[in-house]
Amino acid sequence: MGRLWERIKSTRVYRSIYRNDYPTTPRNQTLVILNSVLLHLHPVKVPRHAVKLTYTWGLGGASLLMFLILTVTGVWLMFYYIPAVPHAYFSVRALETDITFGIFLRNMHRWTAHGMVLLVFLHMVRVFYTGSYKPPREFNWVVGVNLLLVTFLLSFTGYLLPWDQLAIWAITVGTNMGGATPIIGKQILYLLRAGYEVTQNTLVRWYTLHVIFLPLSAILLMCVHFWRIRKDGGISSPIPLEEEAGKPVPVSPELQVAEQEEKPAPVG
Amino acid sequence: MAEDGQRREDKVFVWPYLVRIELIVALLYLLFFTLMSIFVNAPLRNLANPEVTPNPAKAPWYFLGLQELLLHMHPALAGVIVPGAVLVGLALIPYIDTRREGTGIYFTTPEGKKIALFSFLYTAVWEISLILIDEFLRLPQMPESAHGIGPAVKTLLTQAFYGTPDPTQVENMTILIPAITDVIIPSIIMLLIPFLLVLIVRRVWQADTREVMIALFSFFVASFVILTVVGSAFRGHSMKLFWPWEVGPPEEPLQ
Repeated sequence: MGRLWERIKSTRVYRSIYRNDYPTTPRNQTLVILNSVLLHLHPVKVPRHAVKLTYTWGLGGASLLMFLILTVTGVWLMFYYIPAVPHAYFSVRALETDITFGIFLRNMHRWTAHGMVLLVFLHMVRVFYTGSYKPPREFNWVVGVNLLLVTFLLSFTGYLLPWDQLAIWAITVGTNMGGATPIIGKQILYLLRAGYEVTQNTLVRWYTLHVIFLPLSAILLMCVHFWRIRKDGGISSPIPLEEEAGKPVPVSPELQVAEQEEKPAPVG
Repeated sequence: MAEDGQRREDKVFVWPYLVRIELIVALLYLLFFTLMSIFVNAPLRNLANPEVTPNPAKAPWYFLGLQELLLHMHPALAGVIVPGAVLVGLALIPYIDTRREGTGIYFTTPEGKKIALFSFLYTAVWEISLILIDEFLRLPQMPESAHGIGPAVKTLLTQAFYGTPDPTQVENMTILIPAITDVIIPSIIMLLIPFLLVLIVRRVWQADTREVMIALFSFFVASFVILTVVGSAFRGHSMKLFWPWEVGPPEEPLQ
């Protein structure tokens, strides 16, 4: 068995996929991060306090997990859901009766959606109380506030789709709030409902926002969010004392090297 | 094992020390939501009917804080201006508190923790009192079913200017009266609560910018939690206050 595994690992196909051995040595523990697109979100090493559960509570990662579960279950629901007033409700009802695991996947989508709203909010609370919005992380905090908003909107647009009493009345109440905007209230209300009432037009508009526009916005913002975590120095840590004394903080190590190279070589 | 990670700056390898935690936590979340999805069904009520309004008609839970505000002030204030100001305020935090000191430490200082706790209690006392006052304050001359600070002031003002305590009987009422009762009074109260909070933490704890931010952010979180809990668990028929166990599912009138 062990020899068969060795044989597989030495094939061209295996070597073309995995470039390093199982990470048991510092070299392979480094390579596994550098060679994998997903693990590459992480640095090779993190400060010891970053792996303590009571520092981050894993809330940002858990929010991402919710988003992934929602994407998978959401695509699956799209196979069965019909965004048209005569069919929408009955296509959701059919999940309970006609479709294998239908009710389970709909439940999963619903509960993880609530979970995501809660976790994103708690993540913001954690980031605030650890002071992780402070320079140089100001902009990433702003990106995070936008992600909170997109999360609310994703959940709210999805609320209409089952087209039951809960759905249209929650959306009627919600859009009425938007319609109270001073001066342009009527226009806002018309924009939100694609008409004067919650109708077929509203359903199509909210469905499109829910399955395409808002998820893409969330993905784009998440890309910036995760990239900026790394660029802003990784997970927030207490500032070393010499930096607190006022020494300038390098923006990025690469830039430091580049600046070194730009200096003219000392002559003779 | 960990020796390698400890050598420089007390850092540890992400593989395995972080990825194993991520994997276990992800599996626990997956297990939790799988079990929940097996045992608890997502709600699906009757087919939508624009003719039949359920009582009460509620937004999703995370908007019930705003819906709670709607009961106490002009809808433009509760539904647009307050949430808009909150989002802008949140985004501005790092541009007001610009010092790096205190990054990476929960509440930054022991005082920070006390300020956060105080802010939660302070906000809870204010908001629960205001909700109760708005529900139960009644002047004898107020029209039936009217209650609260705004309507009470409105009754007094219409009595003074039009000679009748019932605002619904006044034709061509000046816009000034509803502007005072629905916009100006709630705005003053909503600004007064955080303003006094800042004064107190500055006086008692000599709070710096970070600690003032902690006080204000805690005021926001506490408000969100209190208003959401009241809006979802304590509001029943006609959006009146009930105990959570008295709040049933929304009623739908028979056609």
